[in-house]
Amino acid sequence: MKKKILSILLACSMVFAMTACSSTETQGSADKSSGSGDKKSASELVDGKFAETRKIVVEVYDRGNDGGSDPTNNMYTEYIKKGMLEDHNVEVEFKAVPRWTEVEEINNLLAASDAPDVCVTYSYPTILTYAQMGGVLDLSQYVEDYKDDLPNLWNWLGESNIYWDQDPDKGTLWAIEAKLAVSNRVLTFVRQDWLDKLEMKAPTTKAEFEEMLIAFRDNAELLLGADASKMIPYSVSYDVGWRAATLIESFLDPDMSDKEFYVNGFDDRKLTQNGTKEAVKLLNKWYNMGLMWNDFALYGSGDTTEDSMMKAGYVGAFTHNWDYPWRNGEDSISANLKRQVGEDAKYVAIDCFEDSKGTYTKFVPGPIDRKVFFPITNKEPLASMLYLDWISDPEHIQYLQIGDEGVTHTVEANGAIATQAATGEAIMNSGMNIDYTITCNGLKFADENITNLSRALAYPGVDPDDVINAHNLANTDLRVGKNVNVGAIAAEEGIGDTLSSKRDIVYDNAVVAKEADFDKIWDDGVADYLASGGQAIMDEREEKWNAAFGDATQLP
Amino acid sequence: MKKQKTTVSQRKMPFGVYFKRYWQLYALLLLPLTYLLVFKYIPMLYIQIAFKKYSIVESIWKLPLAANYGFEYFIKAFNSKDFLYALRNTLSLNLLDLVLGFPAPIIFALILNEICFKRFKRVVQTIAYMPHFLSWVIVYSLALQLFAPDAGLINMLIRDMGGETIPFLNEPAHWVGTYIGLGVWQSFGWNSIVYLAAIAGINPELYEAASVDGAGRFKKMWHVTLPGLKPTIIVLLIMNLGNILGSGFDRPFAFQNNLVMRVAEVISTYVYKVGIKGLQFSLTTAVGLFQSVVGVIFLLFANWLARKLGERGIW
Repeated sequence: MKKKILSILLACSMVFAMTACSSTETQGSADKSSGSGDKKSASELVDGKFAETRKIVVEVYDRGNDGGSDPTNNMYTEYIKKGMLEDHNVEVEFKAVPRWTEVEEINNLLAASDAPDVCVTYSYPTILTYAQMGGVLDLSQYVEDYKDDLPNLWNWLGESNIYWDQDPDKGTLWAIEAKLAVSNRVLTFVRQDWLDKLEMKAPTTKAEFEEMLIAFRDNAELLLGADASKMIPYSVSYDVGWRAATLIESFLDPDMSDKEFYVNGFDDRKLTQNGTKEAVKLLNKWYNMGLMWNDFALYGSGDTTEDSMMKAGYVGAFTHNWDYPWRNGEDSISANLKRQVGEDAKYVAIDCFEDSKGTYTKFVPGPIDRKVFFPITNKEPLASMLYLDWISDPEHIQYLQIGDEGVTHTVEANGAIATQAATGEAIMNSGMNIDYTITCNGLKFADENITNLSRALAYPGVDPDDVINAHNLANTDLRVGKNVNVGAIAAEEGIGDTLSSKRDIVYDNAVVAKEADFDKIWDDGVADYLASGGQAIMDEREEKWNAAFGDATQLP
Repeated sequence: MKKQKTTVSQRKMPFGVYFKRYWQLYALLLLPLTYLLVFKYIPMLYIQIAFKKYSIVESIWKLPLAANYGFEYFIKAFNSKDFLYALRNTLSLNLLDLVLGFPAPIIFALILNEICFKRFKRVVQTIAYMPHFLSWVIVYSLALQLFAPDAGLINMLIRDMGGETIPFLNEPAHWVGTYIGLGVWQSFGWNSIVYLAAIAGINPELYEAASVDGAGRFKKMWHVTLPGLKPTIIVLLIMNLGNILGSGFDRPFAFQNNLVMRVAEVISTYVYKVGIKGLQFSLTTAVGLFQSVVGVIFLLFANWLARKLGERGIW
């Protein structure tokens, strides 16, 4: 009897399971038909407005920073929502995605058919993987068909950024590249007050830099007093390829051909470029000399331990984004350092890693930034394109970057705009609201002169000369990346993340290796990286380059 | 009591009467059953992803079969060095856990049982349970504060006393020790509860009889308490063996870092990294399926062995 009932229950559950499945099935196919059948022309707009209110969902990064506001609901999102409703009759909703696990999060949202209509990510290979699964809308039609309705987008991004990722053969366009307003990338920073105390000049070569680190180490008592044991002359994070980028780039051949740079260039941390090994060998030497932070590999992405040490004043030098010490207003490294150590304590930017020509070549990527794409579930491609257009309007970018006058900025006599530290509601979750200006990264006002005048004033409480110095250094000896568009590289599909974590493992283990073991550990690590897909990518890149450009090794 | 009644009624009562009388009991069963269905059985339909070429947007029923009669991803997994490493690490970490972690609560229960001073016993017990309620992320944060090479308290002490820094967390062999040690520390108190309960169920007359026969403390422990615990130990051992290829996700994930990855990557974290982050859902479903199948085989084998040796097994 009991068995009977059990079996009835089980049967019921089977039926239930079947119906549950078939219902998701129909849902899936419905989504698809509406996705592909959506080829309405722009004529449904009257004065740029929809007759009926449309609704779109837009992704926004959640950085979870202290003192920040809800990234989906604050005075800046209100500004966007209001503007979009007034200008285009489109209702905008934001969906927060954690900044440091964005790829996983978007994967889940896509798989659940719950992805925002406008998605943003830094990883193009991820988008390509989605696209190959049929999960992404082809934007090539939309940017052309709606061109007249998208003047700001076309003005700001231009042909080169809009078509940056277009497949040269099939003409498909899976993503639009946002634009970098400034190409400043990574610089090395050093404690000016420590140099002064030790009566040293800022280093201009690797040898001088090493001397300086040794001086920091040997004078820990003088510089840190009771905290001498916490001295860290030079600090990197687990992401060595990024956090020692200027050092690594100084070991690359500044005259390397475009082809070589491209073929070895899948990894943006330059693991497989010629010369990187020597750079890491130097780091390894410094590590074994006690010049670096021993715990760096134990803290993962997004961890704030290292920042806290910089804020507390234990770190002598580090390499990071060109404006890193000044980011986040009152909570910036520089503001904390002033509060905790003293008025004169500060980091200044230096150029100290000379390359084989004696210059400071910096390999900066092309003027591209985040990639915007529409998942297949997007039923409002026009409204979404209008959103991109709206957010690319110079006036709107400017407002989002500087906020209200008297609250988050003041205007100087010469028209320059000085950013003020914001409080309460007006605090921006990301520097200059970069997370909302998804087509633009970097200070950009409607008037270019004002932009240049304002640059130094964009960081409240920071000596404008320090900012200008950093900006200038970040623009010395640039080698700007070119768009090598030879079509999708099949070997890169779905492997980016695996290779990135392998790369970090190679870098980290090589830095902490015993000096005698360094060669073996590096070579084994790189061999493993290559065997796990790295070599296939390089081979395919070379093959596609040869097919597209023949014998040429330089791009125009 | 409930069990007795139903067995009696099974023979006599017609279905209608029986159900009318006991439907509440089945109603009580409904919720847990739904839970199992929704979270354990329905997801099993998606096992087919392992044999198909997955797409994030297609319905799973319409996916095309993978190459090699659907076994493409199994072949791929076993050709992948990373998977084999993960498999090796999972096995060795779990075996170490079993060898060191399994006897710990038994020994602890035995020792605790010998304490006569009740209040002290309770305090010790509570302190030993406590780590169980900490999540692994918290345990790892504590470990970082204590064991990190530069900033860790223990290493600071060692250095102050003139010793060398011990790489508890950043050197593979030491890391395994820390990982297993903290695992045992976190769980032995909690796991001892079952054994303490079993000990409480042992007939006191046996102890009296042993005393009369002149047995001392250790003799009693050996000849009375341990045999009394034997069925419990065997059931738990079988369940642990079923989990030999499985492992929680949060413990290894929280403890991993790039310097120890070659011993720290286990199947669950591999699946997360390659599947969820790297979007290779088919590959990792195949890995997960393999893991489950091996788990079931171990479970069946252990159970068979237990019965063979004259014990009760778990079914």
